[in-house]
Amino acid sequence: MFWKSKPLWGDKTRLKSSYDAVIIGGGLHGLATAYYLAKEHGITDVAIIEKRFIGFGGAGRNTAIVRANQRTQYNVPLYKEALDLWPVLTKELDYNLMFNNCGNLNLMHSEAAMKAARMTIATAQFHGVESHLIDAKEAKEMVPALNISEDITFPIHGAMYHPPGGIVRHDAVVWGLAKGCAKHGVQIHQQTEATAIHTEGGKITGVETSRGRIHTPRVLVSAGGYSAGIIHHMLGIKLPISVLTIQAMVTQPLKPILNHVVSSGAYHCYANQTLKGEIATGAHMDQWPNYTTQNTAHYIKHQAEALSDWLPCLRGVKFMRIWGGLADMTPDMAPIMDGNDPIEGFYMDCGWGYFGFKSCSAVGKYMSEYMATGNCPDMLKPFNLRRYENHQLMGETAALVSYTPDN
Amino acid sequence: MALTLTCPVCGKRNGYEFRYGGEDKGPRPAEAGLTPRAWCDYVHMNKCTAGVQKEWWFHRDGCGSWFTTWRDTTNNLEVEQPEASK
Ligand SMILES: Cc1cc2nc3c(=O)[nH]c(=O)nc-3n(C[C@H](O)[C@H](O)[C@H](O)COP(=O)(O)OP(=O)(O)OC[C@H]3O[C@@H](n4cnc5c(N)ncnc54)[C@H](O)[C@@H]3O)c2cc1C
Ligand SMILES: [Zn+2]
Repeated sequence: MFWKSKPLWGDKTRLKSSYDAVIIGGGLHGLATAYYLAKEHGITDVAIIEKRFIGFGGAGRNTAIVRANQRTQYNVPLYKEALDLWPVLTKELDYNLMFNNCGNLNLMHSEAAMKAARMTIATAQFHGVESHLIDAKEAKEMVPALNISEDITFPIHGAMYHPPGGIVRHDAVVWGLAKGCAKHGVQIHQQTEATAIHTEGGKITGVETSRGRIHTPRVLVSAGGYSAGIIHHMLGIKLPISVLTIQAMVTQPLKPILNHVVSSGAYHCYANQTLKGEIATGAHMDQWPNYTTQNTAHYIKHQAEALSDWLPCLRGVKFMRIWGGLADMTPDMAPIMDGNDPIEGFYMDCGWGYFGFKSCSAVGKYMSEYMATGNCPDMLKPFNLRRYENHQLMGETAALVSYTPDN
Repeated sequence: MALTLTCPVCGKRNGYEFRYGGEDKGPRPAEAGLTPRAWCDYVHMNKCTAGVQKEWWFHRDGCGSWFTTWRDTTNNLEVEQPEASK
């Protein structure tokens, strides 16, 4: 070796036979929860078990959009806290997370959509989150590349403008959190797959891995799109989740033309320009569950059509890279965070669909509190699994493009 | 990834002609004595199998049939009914 450097997340350690807590999945949520467990709650004897490498899942594939303009009063405060944490974490981890606070513009293509936006904006403002309604002309002033003519498939009526949102570098979040974990004594075990979860008398006792058995009283499943399958396979618990492949892509680099994250529900399309100049654009979900993470010609065509309609200056621009990942969708487009029910010591954090990046910082903070104390923090109470049998589904579907096969 | 499905009436067709109808969960539970939990289980809960599963499809842009098929969710290929499930 000509060059020897220590990975940010410490030297490789031996897998021990017991830990105070085991986290399955080295993604955003697993890393963030481990970090706060160690830093805030003094639980440092923690192992993160990662099948491939940290960031292999959605963590390294997402389009990095962050915002806090969700629909319901349960979701907005959680995402607001997550958004407020980026600058704090950047300092705390001593790692540049490249928060580009460029603001988000959600295009509205009908008067009905404008009315729905008014309600979402009222919710945001009530929670102290900046969000305004603007008309098509104002949107055009902000984003001159926008096509506001009336003869496109979905003419633009106006937009919801949310200045505090933007883009955070997703790999930096993975590496920064891993660095923070290692600093506080958490062990990260890559190339280690969880294969079974052991229980005895209704309590968690351990985790079986491809590298041996671990004894532990607490397990968090935060395996992104793989969580629901794992939880059913290992514990027989079924979840209201559908796992879909979701695709995104980037164009060749261009001179600066987009200064915001612009999205359109009607076109099923969003776009922003990365710091490298590429237009990052997504996202398309397959209409049937699958774990392929493969791309489709269908999506490339869809994206080219949509972009040439509402951002016509991109006509003729080449797509450079395309990739896929998994989105675990719930019927109410809100996640499931729960613990100690029906198994003591078992925690889950899943159903994050295509919004689990923007939330990971705050979720790590609260899930770690849950795991350290055994009591569910107020912030997470509405996200319990039983809400589905109690007919207390959250109303997030009203604010997002709902792609689940349930619709 | 592309998907081809075999409609019992129309034969092999492009997957985009169909609407996914969910994992096969057996017959709809009887109304008598139905609990919220059992209903929720039937309506919402999934196994999310990474592998072969039995599922419902509707030939939306075709003959309108509802049918079940076996598909491997890791590669989108239709498969014969597994021996174990017969
Ligand atoms: C194309 C795309 C675009 C997206 N865009 C956005 C966006 O703009 N904004 C946003 O907020 N969100 C977005 N998301 C969603 C976001 O990426 C996910 O919600 C988020 O990554 C979930 O984090 P996680 O930590 O739960 O899971 P992941 O980051 O997926 O990590 C799970 C990890 O678990 C590991 N694992 C799985 N099985 C096992 C096992 N048996 N044993 C051990 N380890 C295992 C996997 O290898 C993986 O590394 C997008 C997702 C995709 C795919
Ligand atoms: Zn047919």
